[in-house]
Amino acid sequence: MVLGSGGKRFVHAWLVGTALIHSLAVTEKRGAFRSWTVLLAIAAFSLSLLGTFLVRSGVLTSVHAFATDPKRGVFILAFLIAVVGCSLTLFAWRAPRIGLGGRFDLISRESALLTNNVVLAAACGAVMLGTLYPLALDAFGLGKISVGPPYFEAVFVPLMAPALFLIGIGPLLRWKSAQIPELAARLRWAAAISILCAILVPLLMGRWSWLVSAGLWLAFWITVTAAYGLWQRLRHTASGNLVSRLRQQPASFYGMHVAHLGIAAFIVGVTLVSGYQSEADVRMKAGDYKELAGHRFAFSGTEEYRGPNYVASRGLITVTRDGKPVATLKPEKRIYTVRNMPMTEAAIARGLTRDLYVAMGEELSPGTWIVRIWYKPFVNWIWIGCVIMALGGLLAASDRRYRAGRKASAHG
Amino acid sequence: MAEAPNTEAPAAAIQRLAWLRYAVPLGMFLLLAVLLGIGLRLNPREVPSPLVGKPAPAFTLPQLHQPAESFSPPAMQGKVWLFNVWASWCTSCREEHPVLMSLARSGAVPIIGLNYKDKREDGIAWLKRFGDPYALSAFDEKGSVGIDYGVYGVPETYLIDKKGVIRFKQIGIVTPDIVRTRILPLVDSLNREP
Amino acid sequence: MSTPMRLMLIMIAFLLTPVATAAEAVPAATDPALEKRVNALAEELRCLVCQNQSIADSHAGLAVDLKNQIRDKLRDGASESEIREFMVTRYGEFVLYRPPVRIATVFLWFGPPLLLALGLWWLFRTLARKRSTGAALSEAEQARARELLAHGPDGDYRS
Repeated sequence: MVLGSGGKRFVHAWLVGTALIHSLAVTEKRGAFRSWTVLLAIAAFSLSLLGTFLVRSGVLTSVHAFATDPKRGVFILAFLIAVVGCSLTLFAWRAPRIGLGGRFDLISRESALLTNNVVLAAACGAVMLGTLYPLALDAFGLGKISVGPPYFEAVFVPLMAPALFLIGIGPLLRWKSAQIPELAARLRWAAAISILCAILVPLLMGRWSWLVSAGLWLAFWITVTAAYGLWQRLRHTASGNLVSRLRQQPASFYGMHVAHLGIAAFIVGVTLVSGYQSEADVRMKAGDYKELAGHRFAFSGTEEYRGPNYVASRGLITVTRDGKPVATLKPEKRIYTVRNMPMTEAAIARGLTRDLYVAMGEELSPGTWIVRIWYKPFVNWIWIGCVIMALGGLLAASDRRYRAGRKASAHG
Repeated sequence: MAEAPNTEAPAAAIQRLAWLRYAVPLGMFLLLAVLLGIGLRLNPREVPSPLVGKPAPAFTLPQLHQPAESFSPPAMQGKVWLFNVWASWCTSCREEHPVLMSLARSGAVPIIGLNYKDKREDGIAWLKRFGDPYALSAFDEKGSVGIDYGVYGVPETYLIDKKGVIRFKQIGIVTPDIVRTRILPLVDSLNREP
Repeated sequence: MSTPMRLMLIMIAFLLTPVATAAEAVPAATDPALEKRVNALAEELRCLVCQNQSIADSHAGLAVDLKNQIRDKLRDGASESEIREFMVTRYGEFVLYRPPVRIATVFLWFGPPLLLALGLWWLFRTLARKRSTGAALSEAEQARARELLAHGPDGDYRS
């Protein structure tokens, strides 16, 4: 997955922010985890500041070579030390006096959320470790290494898996105390259905693989348990027809499930794209075609045109599927006149179930071009998943109790 | 007078130290801040060469001005010499060129050029226009010798000793400062070596 | 040769001449399987003239040269690790996106599972402790409880 370096630098802040949201749930409901919640809040903000520092100071290499100015770096670092140093000092001083909070059993919603906190913190630690390790080695004069995508992929995914699995269980656990056997009995259908779907879908996509199946299983697990949770909740709501029962649930309940479904969508996107994307690098002259992933890409040649500061060859590619037209793509090969610099402008056909990219390579001989074609299934589910997560968050934040809360504390 | 039970004192001590774990995040942050501070003084783009201290990689290339003649590092055996990678399309090379010219004029150390991924006519024309500080230039049209020397950005300069071992590499422009503080002293000490 | 015969020969010649037809495009690379290996390796190597791009993604001159070197070496039978060695000898470990496992990087590779293990250990300890304590309030805590019940919540302890 290609994430700009800028985006990568804030993943750790996002992880901690997620832990914070969940820790807050416990603090609100049971008064427990108070010092955790405060610490996570400080950490979320601090890590955002840290991300800004890392991107702007030039301390790490980045694709985005913003004008890195050591003086700016010093300023941001000073700001960082002042803000974070003060908050953590305050924390060290006052946190011991924050109350104890309620008790809870080894198996309970609180313990699941605490486990969630720990896993997210470990994942955040891993990202920070990978990001800062080259800097640390360099500072100690132990050489210069690079830590790139192979490391993060190898380390991040296995770390997050337990947290993702817990998404299915956590919302179904009772506060304070819950029983595993009872829960397992309730969830056996969810487990069975999700395993079945996880095995079937790769076959439908054309090729079975363990990794794809595992990823899909997590996504289905989250979805099915969410559906089960909703069903249970509605069943246990005192009275009314379906619609009224649906309306009786608080916004935070829907927010939680929507956010979790967003994660499931995200996982589906990542899994299917990395499992089933394909590409072709071919030589084409007018009239040639290439079949990729059930689509036929027909090349009709190029036309030249002049842009404001460049000269371009625009290719015409007609995409059909089973004879029916799907898209017309017009990738360009531009030469910017000032420095004689060639640039490629890819053409993209976006869709819910796939993206099709076409880019022009070099012109090998007049009329014969190298054309690169990509098929990326479900790639937009990644972004859609993120949007759904955000919507879930907004929904949860709109819960009435956050507005009623002010009135209540005024009274009590 | 009954003594207070012994268990009180250690327990109270532990109670007092319990607050220490709340100071752990602060401690970790301060360490991080120190690391970041050090980081600001380093340059992440500078990649130290693993070839320093190793023998200069062998090659045989045609010369730029005399294609019939070739050049190979063993030809410089017994001498301390500078190996400078340049190209006519490299704008930074123009910046360091006057420095190389004056270094060549002083005769302190012979300079051999490596014309990297260039066209022969362009290279010759460039030297004609800006001056030729090189005893000779080897013509690396495809850049394969450059890869062997770990060249990734032009200009780059190597200082090689009498035994043919690379002792110093400058990534980027050679400035008068670097000539004065790094190159010339090193040339002196290397010349004194057997 | 009679005219009909000549005509026949011309027609046959015509029919046998391949006419340019629309055809399935051929792969740009002469050996797609080899190309796959080249790309797999190129994705793990850093492009040194770019900021944080792999050789596979970059269009820089050096990146293309290095990709060609990789292709030639693979074709000549070199192994992936030999090629990585080749790159590291010339450019240092910085060129590898997957950091090598050696003493200096032990914390890097074993750190994350260690963090998780430590976290989970702390978790179980905390949960177990929470369960075992709290059976009865200590003398001091009972006094405090009485005070709270009598005088209402203290400013310090409001949530």
